[in-house]
Amino acid sequence: MDILIPILILSSLGLISGLGLAVASKRLAVKIDPRLEKIHGLLPGANCGACGGAGCFGFAEAVLKGELDISACRVAEEGKKEEIAAMLGKKLDRKTKLVVVLHCGGGKKVKDKFLYKGIPACSAAILVMGGQKECRYGCLGFGDCVKACPFYAISMGDGGLPDGSQAGLPHINLERCKACNKCVIACPKKLFTLTPQDATVYVACRSHDLSKDTKAVCPVGCIGCKLCEKACKFEAIRVVDNLAAIDYNKCTSCGECIKVCPTKAILEKFKKEKMM
Amino acid sequence: MDVGKFISIVISMVFINNFILSKFLGLCSFIGVSRETKPAVSMGLAVTFVTTMSSIITWLIYRYLLVPFDIAYLRTICFILVIASFVQLVEMFIRKGFPGLYKAFGIYLPLITVNCAVLGVAVLNSDMFFSDGSAAKGSFALSVTQGFFAGVGYLLAMILMSGIRERLELLDAPESLKGVPLAFIVASLMSLAFMGFSGFKF
Repeated sequence: MDILIPILILSSLGLISGLGLAVASKRLAVKIDPRLEKIHGLLPGANCGACGGAGCFGFAEAVLKGELDISACRVAEEGKKEEIAAMLGKKLDRKTKLVVVLHCGGGKKVKDKFLYKGIPACSAAILVMGGQKECRYGCLGFGDCVKACPFYAISMGDGGLPDGSQAGLPHINLERCKACNKCVIACPKKLFTLTPQDATVYVACRSHDLSKDTKAVCPVGCIGCKLCEKACKFEAIRVVDNLAAIDYNKCTSCGECIKVCPTKAILEKFKKEKMM
Repeated sequence: MDVGKFISIVISMVFINNFILSKFLGLCSFIGVSRETKPAVSMGLAVTFVTTMSSIITWLIYRYLLVPFDIAYLRTICFILVIASFVQLVEMFIRKGFPGLYKAFGIYLPLITVNCAVLGVAVLNSDMFFSDGSAAKGSFALSVTQGFFAGVGYLLAMILMSGIRERLELLDAPESLKGVPLAFIVASLMSLAFMGFSGFKF
């Protein structure tokens, strides 16, 4: 019988506190907008901060308050964004999906001007005479962008494409790229830019040097010959300061410039998808 | 009741027997929340509040329920039960009544419910102020004082630690030591310093 008293006391103690909490949770309930949880559930949860909100939950709160527009999220799928917009009785303002491209084709084709033995990071290497590569505009290849990418969209491809191009350059998985801008900031050479996903053509060079100097260090650099400018029927490509630049508002991705480029400095984006 | 007893409890709880640095209780929140000073202070205040309140409740439970029925061996489970439900209740109440206060430390309250420091205070109280099944003279006031200053000792350790860790963030430490490992090393050094209050015994 001795066992009964402790059992009784303990269970009644548990019962009292349980019932007390149950009553309290009803009487002291705070109304939270149920849409907040739903919106948060539909967001990707990457907390990348590209929208300007403090993580996905902060973004959900801001969307609910009307401070931020749902289209500000670059990561969520279009279908989920539409679901959120429908829940809030708004229309989703569609934006063209952006992806990042790398404006360098050098990689292992560009020789080193000295042996760099420091910390293996682009941000460190650039402090030593602007980096170890002969081309002062080109990719250093230590992969700061790989570390910066929260979506694992960038990897360092040492081998490159089957034909040997793109070796020693970061490769971008365009399906994974969410255009969060992290690599654009991380690259000390400023080689990344965001371009519309539909446009498949891009200039894989950042060199503003004269053609003679560019040719001396890199076989695939833009030499500013203006052949692409002449080939383009839409006036979408312009050579400014010895470097071709594409105006994506005019570009139709017809690929004429790729054909005429003598150094293969203009590339097709989706070619990278097929490699490795 | 003599004042000296209270003073000795205050000094003991804040310095000599500091819950974190001498008794090694409540370490998870100590490492987890001490990255910045502001949340560390909020956490410390929340812990102070909870230890004080739990000292009051557990004293009542122990004195009027466990001791008379001679089931003091059930104190651990009873204390956890009572403290956890009480803290939940307080959390709900704060959430409803004081949204500002809830934002400041409401989110830390659920973290504390099962913190060993809180249970530690309750167990220490029942060990120290009860002898042979009866409460010592003035034990209620002593328990509450001990609970409150245990929280103050926690707060002190949190403030010191967060101040140090804010500076550690700026340090160019080796990759493998960055963050928590360095925090543990610092915590052990602080602990050595605090043990100096009681004198080293071997």
